[in-house]
Amino acid sequence: MKQFLGKVGQTAGFLFAGVSRLGALFRDVAGSVLSAFVKPRNIRANALFEQMVFTGVDSIPIIMLVGAAVGMVLALQAAYQLKEFGAVLYTGSLVSVSVTRELGPLVAGIVISGRIGARMAAELGTMKSQEEVDALVTMGLDPVRYLVVPRCLSLMIMLPCLTVITILMAMAGGFAVGVWGVGINPDLYIAKSLDPLIIKDIVTGLTKSGIFAAVIGLVSCHQGLSVEGGADAVGKATTQAVVTSIVMIIVTDCIATAIFFYAFP
Amino acid sequence: MTASIIEVENLVKRFGDRTVLNGMSMKIPEGKITVIMGGSGGGKSTLLRHLVGLLKPNEGKILIDGTDIASANDEDMNTTRRKFGMLFQSAALFNSLSVGENVAVPLREHTSLSEEIIRIIVKVKLELVGLTGFENFMPYEISGGMKKRVGLARAIALDPKIVFYDEPGAGLDPITASMIDQLILDLSTKLRITSVVVTHEMKSAFRIADQIIVLHKGKVLEIGTAKDIQNSKNSYVQQFINGEHEGAIPFKQTSEAYLKGLLET
Repeated sequence: MKQFLGKVGQTAGFLFAGVSRLGALFRDVAGSVLSAFVKPRNIRANALFEQMVFTGVDSIPIIMLVGAAVGMVLALQAAYQLKEFGAVLYTGSLVSVSVTRELGPLVAGIVISGRIGARMAAELGTMKSQEEVDALVTMGLDPVRYLVVPRCLSLMIMLPCLTVITILMAMAGGFAVGVWGVGINPDLYIAKSLDPLIIKDIVTGLTKSGIFAAVIGLVSCHQGLSVEGGADAVGKATTQAVVTSIVMIIVTDCIATAIFFYAFP
Repeated sequence: MTASIIEVENLVKRFGDRTVLNGMSMKIPEGKITVIMGGSGGGKSTLLRHLVGLLKPNEGKILIDGTDIASANDEDMNTTRRKFGMLFQSAALFNSLSVGENVAVPLREHTSLSEEIIRIIVKVKLELVGLTGFENFMPYEISGGMKKRVGLARAIALDPKIVFYDEPGAGLDPITASMIDQLILDLSTKLRITSVVVTHEMKSAFRIADQIIVLHKGKVLEIGTAKDIQNSKNSYVQQFINGEHEGAIPFKQTSEAYLKGLLET
């Protein structure tokens, strides 16, 4: 029992220490971004654009594929259930509302944490283990400003864009299933899809994806920069980055949804 | 005797219960080559990491050109960092950047020189280390010795007063290692750069050193010219420079004795 409690206490301790280190990294990144208003050179524009291409443009094909698949599955499952109530017509509404508010940001976040978060953690981890980060420090360059800021910022710009693509593709996938699979009239499907959508759905969805982007960026860069040692530490950091990002995305999603639900009914 | 550019006073560093640096003091003369040597675990690398500001000591002072970097704030630290360059053991080149871009990093980040001028400086620095025309090669396309030379070109990009070398000859064949030694000598005589070289390669140490500092168990064991060290009466120094496996340090140690040795320091 004593041992068990000790273990629980230790885990909680690690958790708090981890969260506080993430908070410190967030503060550094935010400070660096804010200072760019006074000294624009503080943000390395070239590195930012390069990262935006890696994280955003290069992820479009996979995001389109996953988005369409999610929309199709959702439409199939919804139609199957709604048929019982004779409400198949509402398949479009169900797909559009659920992907805009919830599934679009979540799915895009999870795909990107696997694709980009892992990449960032492995890249920074290797740089750390090969003394490249130390080299930056001895040159008087802040690793947070030099490495973390362009990565986090590019994610925060590109993930909402990718989320929009996911949502549109999911709706298209739902449309394909609804119209050609279930036999709903296409005009009616589109009308039923767009009818229930309000601006708030889109705003909350995109706000969430912005938060997810910050979570993925901070967690992955933090994992990468905490690497001590060689190849196995890099591997561990990469796994840890993806797992922690996904768990934190789902938890923050839960909190953010609750806040939106109660604060802005 | 020339004025000293680096002064270390009573440096103490502990990692947990282990004292790695135990009241170390030394003066490093300006414009000369100082070699720091000692066995593994003697505190060489830890001392070097303190000198370049990667670690902060528990006690003591490190004056670099008049600034105490042990207590300096970030701004002073970064000003001081521009006065020195460092060549890492693994060269620590940025693997995603070409040779020319690696050398250009400090110039781009710390000066507002035009790209044209940066290109010329990069060319000059690469010529100094004998790598004319290698600007567009990637770090993985060149040999270990070349990487070190690029690392050196990057370290002297901002015309520093001091260059630190961490095991410059490690992992290189004897010819390449002696080429690096010659470069260190050249930089010292041509550009009046103060060099601090951490090594345990005797031949190279005696070839280049104006002053040799021998460390043992976190303390300075002996300071002197190459001749002084060769004629030292200290049995440990003799064992070390002659590379004998039996002597003041026994070849065979029980694990208890090894641990005791670690804890004693």
